[in-house]
Amino acid sequence: MSPLLTIARLIWRDQRRAMLRGFGLSVAVALAGIMLLALSGWFIVAAGIAGLAGVGATFDVFRPSAGIRFLAMARTGSRYAERLATHDATLKALAGLRVRLMDGLSRADFATQSRLRGGQALNRLTADVDALDGLAIRLIFPLLSLAVAALSVVVGLWLLVAPSVALWVSGATVAGAALVLAWTGNAALAPSSGAEARRQALRAGAVDHLRGRAWLTVSGRLPGARQAVLDEDRGARAAALAQARVEHRATAALQISGAVVMAGTLWLAGSLAVDGQITAPQAALAIFAALAMGELSLALQRGIAELGRMSTSATRILPLLDQPAEAIPATGGTPGLRLTGLSVAPAAGLPPVITAFDLHVAPGETVALKGISGRGKTSLLNAIAGLTPAEGLIQRGGSLGYLTQRPALVGGSLRDALRMGLPSASDQEMRAVLACCQLDLPLDHRLGEGGAGLSGGQARRLALARVLIRRPAIVLLDEPTEGLDASTAAAVLQGIRDWLPDAAILIAGHRLAEFRFADREVDLDGLD
Amino acid sequence: MARDNAISAELTRLTAPVSRRLRLSAGLTVLAEVLWLPQAALLAWGLAGLAIGEDVALGWIALGFAALGVLRALLGLAASSGAEAAADAVIADTRVTLLARADRRAPEAAAPSSAATAALLVDKVEMLRPYLLRWHPVRARVAAVPLLILAVSFAISWSAGLILAISGPVIPMFMALIGLAARDASQRQMDEITDLNALMLDRIGALVDIRLLGARQTMLDDFTTRADRLRGRTMKVLRIAFLSGAVLELFAALGVAMMAVFVGFTLLGALNFGVWGRSLGVGEGIFLLLLAPAFFQPLRDMAAAWHDRIAAQAVARDLLADAADPAPAILGPGGGAKVLAGAISTEGLLLRGRAMPDLAIARGEGVALTGPSGAGKTALLLALAGLLPSEGAVRIDGQPLTDRNADAWRAGLALIPQKPHFMDASLRDNLTSGRDYDEAAIAEALRLARAHSLVARLPEGLATRLGEGGAGVSGGEARRLTIARAALLRPAVILADEPTADLDDRTAEAVVEGLLSLHRAGATLIAASHDPRLIDALPRRIEVAP
Repeated sequence: MSPLLTIARLIWRDQRRAMLRGFGLSVAVALAGIMLLALSGWFIVAAGIAGLAGVGATFDVFRPSAGIRFLAMARTGSRYAERLATHDATLKALAGLRVRLMDGLSRADFATQSRLRGGQALNRLTADVDALDGLAIRLIFPLLSLAVAALSVVVGLWLLVAPSVALWVSGATVAGAALVLAWTGNAALAPSSGAEARRQALRAGAVDHLRGRAWLTVSGRLPGARQAVLDEDRGARAAALAQARVEHRATAALQISGAVVMAGTLWLAGSLAVDGQITAPQAALAIFAALAMGELSLALQRGIAELGRMSTSATRILPLLDQPAEAIPATGGTPGLRLTGLSVAPAAGLPPVITAFDLHVAPGETVALKGISGRGKTSLLNAIAGLTPAEGLIQRGGSLGYLTQRPALVGGSLRDALRMGLPSASDQEMRAVLACCQLDLPLDHRLGEGGAGLSGGQARRLALARVLIRRPAIVLLDEPTEGLDASTAAAVLQGIRDWLPDAAILIAGHRLAEFRFADREVDLDGLD
Repeated sequence: MARDNAISAELTRLTAPVSRRLRLSAGLTVLAEVLWLPQAALLAWGLAGLAIGEDVALGWIALGFAALGVLRALLGLAASSGAEAAADAVIADTRVTLLARADRRAPEAAAPSSAATAALLVDKVEMLRPYLLRWHPVRARVAAVPLLILAVSFAISWSAGLILAISGPVIPMFMALIGLAARDASQRQMDEITDLNALMLDRIGALVDIRLLGARQTMLDDFTTRADRLRGRTMKVLRIAFLSGAVLELFAALGVAMMAVFVGFTLLGALNFGVWGRSLGVGEGIFLLLLAPAFFQPLRDMAAAWHDRIAAQAVARDLLADAADPAPAILGPGGGAKVLAGAISTEGLLLRGRAMPDLAIARGEGVALTGPSGAGKTALLLALAGLLPSEGAVRIDGQPLTDRNADAWRAGLALIPQKPHFMDASLRDNLTSGRDYDEAAIAEALRLARAHSLVARLPEGLATRLGEGGAGVSGGEARRLTIARAALLRPAVILADEPTADLDDRTAEAVVEGLLSLHRAGATLIAASHDPRLIDALPRRIEVAP
C-alpha cells in the first residue's frame, strides 16, 4: 500500500495545479449531485404537505424549483468541466510518471539497461506503468471528493436536520467505503499480483513457443509444448478469476453498505420526525442526501477493483524511479588510451575472459583487436567505457566515444538523432559528419521507432555519426563496418580518421577492411 | 458495413457456446435493477406516511428496504460471477484455437510475428472479458428497464410518463449520440497512451546509447515536449467528444429536475392534469421522483461501457484477420514418431512463386545448394523438412511427404537454421531437445562442435538458462551450439542454412569441420551456402537459380 501512496504523492507534487483543478471540480460535481437530490426530496414532501393543508397558494414554489433547475444545469456543466480537468490531470500524470521512470532508468547500471532491451522486460514495465494510469482518475479523485462530500454533508445535515442524522449518513457511508477498501486492499493483493505474474509468464511462454515452433516441430515436441502453454493459460485464468471474485464481492459490499445506510437514515430521520423533533421534509432531505452519498461511494468501485494491480505495480515501479547515479571512471593521465594489468569479465560475477592485459593507443593511432568470437573483445570495450566493472588501471586522456555492437536509434529525424550526440551542432556540422560516414540522406529524413526505415548498414553509420559529432579524443568501435560492402567500409573508416585526425581509435573487428585500416593488430587469442 | 456484420457475427460465434449462461446473467442483472422499484415504493410509502402524519411501521419499512438492497447486491454478484465464468470459457476456447493455428504456421517471413500473435493471444483476447461483463448486461438493461419505468410512470401519471418519454426519448438517437461521443473519447485516449508508451519504449531501448552519448537530459526534455504535444492534441479532441456526453447528462438532469418540479406543483395543486383525473398522492409523487434517475441510469452506464464494445470489436477484427491469414501450415502435427529415412527427391516444387530444380539425393550424400540471396534456398530447405508445403512433391524413397509421414521423416532430421533460436530453458534442454542422453554423449557432441570451452565458461554450465531468444551467447557461439545439438541427435539427414554466415574465419572453420565430421559418420548433408570453404568441401553442388 505504501508504494502506491508514495507514487500518488509524487503525481500530486508534480502536477499540483492540474490535480487541484480536477479535485475542485470533482467536489463541485459531487456537491451539486447531493444538493440536487436533497433539495428535490425536501421540495416534494414540503409541497405535498402544503397541498394537503390547503396552503398551496402561499407556498414559495419558485425559489426551490429555480434551485432544482440551477443545480441540474450546474451539475451537468461542472461534470463536463470535471471530465476535462481530470483527463488533463491524468494525461499530465501519465507523462510525468514516464519521465520519472526514464530518468531513474537512465541512471541504472549497464546490466539493468541491457536487460531492458528484451521484449519481456519491456512488456512488464509497460504493463506496470499502464496499471498506474488510472490512479488519479479512478482512486484519488473519487476518494477525495467522497471525503469532502462527507464533511459537507455532516455540516449541512447538522444545521438543516439533526446532528445524529448528519453523523450517521456521513459516518456510515465513509466507514462502509473504508471497510471495503481496506478489505479489498488486503484480499486482492495476493490474487492480483499472482494474476499479473501468471499473465506475464503466459505471454513469455507463448512468444517462446511460437518463435521456437520450427525447432519444436523438427524435434517432434510441438503438441506437448502447446499443451504446456495451455496449462500456463489455465493457471493464468484461474488467478484472474480469483482476482475478479474479490472485485465483484467488493462491489456487492459497497451496494449492501449503501442500502444499510439508506435504511438506517430512513429509520433514524423517520423516528425523529414521528417524535416531532424534525419535520417530514427535513427527513426527506436527509434520506435523499444519503441516496446521493451511496452513489458517490459506488464510484469508487472501479478504483477498488484495480487497487491490487495498482499497488503491486507501484511496488515494482517505485524502486526504478530512484536509481543511484553510477560513478564513471576518472579520466586523466597520459594522452590517448592506456590499459595496465586489466582483467575483464563479461558481466559482474562471471570469471574474467581477459586477464593482465596491457595496451597503449596513442593519439592519432588506430589499433584493431583480433580474436575468435566470444573471446572478449566486446567485454574489453565495455570495460573501457565504464559499462562493466574491471580490475586494473584504465587511463583515458580525454572524452570517449563508443559505437557499440548493437547501437539503438530512436524515432525522429536524422537531425534529432545527431542532436542527441551534440545538442548544439549546426546543420553544416551535421552534414559534414554524415558525409564522413558515407551517409547521403537529408537531415529532415524521418526514422520510425528504433530507427526503422534505415537499412542495417545505414543505421550503423548513423549511430557512428552520432558518436563522431561529439569529437571524442578516444573512439571505441565494435565491428563498425558490419553490413557494409568492402569499398563503403574502407571509405567509412577513412572518413573517421579524416574527421578525427588526433583521436586514439580502438576497433574490435573481424573484417579484412578493419585490419587493413589499423596501424597495428592485437591478437587476443595469442594471450594467456 | 459488410465488415461490421462480419465482426458482430464473429463476436456472436465466439460467445455462442456460453450464450445461455450470458442470458441468465443478463436476466439477473435486469432483475436486480427492477428490484429498485419495490425499494423506491417502500421509501415513498414511509416518507408519505411521515408527511401525512399517518402511523407507518418505519422499522419494518427500513428493514424491507435493506433486505431488498442486500438481495439486489447478491443478484448482481451472481450475475457478475456468471458473466465472469462465461468470459473465462470464451477466452480459454479462443486461446486454444488461436494457438493451435499459429504454432502450425509455416515458419516464414509472411506469417504474423510471434510477438504480435502472443499479444493477441494473451492481452487482446482479455478484452472480451469487460465486453461480456459490462457491455452485455447493460444492453439488456437498456432494452428492459427504461421501458418498464416508463410504463409504471405512465400508469401513475401520463404527464410524468410524458416527461420521461420526452427527455430520455428517441432512445436510438441517444444511443447514436452516446456512441459517437464515447467512441471518439475512448479511441483517443487509447491512442494517446499507446503513442506515449511507444515513445517511452523507444527511448528505454536506447538507454545504453543515451548514456554513452551523455544525452540523458536532452532525451528527457525531448520526451516531455513530445508528451506535451500529444496531450494538447488529445485534449482538443476530448473537449468535443465530452460535449456529446454532456448532452446526455443534461437530458438526464433536466428530466429529473422537470419531474421534481412537476410532482411538486401537482402536489401543491397548482397543476391538475395528467394524473388520470384523480389527485396525485404524496407517496406517488416521491415514487415518481425516485424512479426518474433510474430511468436514465442504464443509458449512462451504456455510455460508460461503450469502449468495452469497441475494444471487443477490435479483438474480433484481429481474430478474423488471423484466421484469414494465408500462411500455409506445416505438414503433420509435429509430434514424435518412429524414424523414417531414405533418399530424397523432389519434383516440380514451386516455392513462393519460384520453380525449384528437381533434386535427387541419395542417402549419405553431401550436397551444397548455391545461388544468389533470395533465390529460395531457405524455402527449399524448409520444404525438405516438411515445414513449408508447396506445389509439386517431396519424396522419401519414392513416397510423397504428407501430413501422415512428415513427423516420422523429421524424427531423423537435424535442421540448422540461419538464425538459431533457443528456447527459454536450460542449455541442456536446448541441446537434448528434451530427450535423454548421457553426459559423455553430450560432452562429445560439444567437443565436435568446438563448443565445450564455451559451456565451461558459462556460470552454471549446462544448467545455465539461455533466456529470451538465447540471450547470453553471441551469434557465433549460438551457431556452434546448434551444431552440437545436431551432433547429439545422430541424424540421418542434416539440413543446414548458411551455417557459416557472419562468422569470423576461425569459428567458420570449426563449424565446417563439425558438419563434415557428422557427414562422414553417415548423415546426408544438404547445406545452403555462399561460403567457398563449405561448398568446396562437399562433393556435389546444386545451383538454385533465381
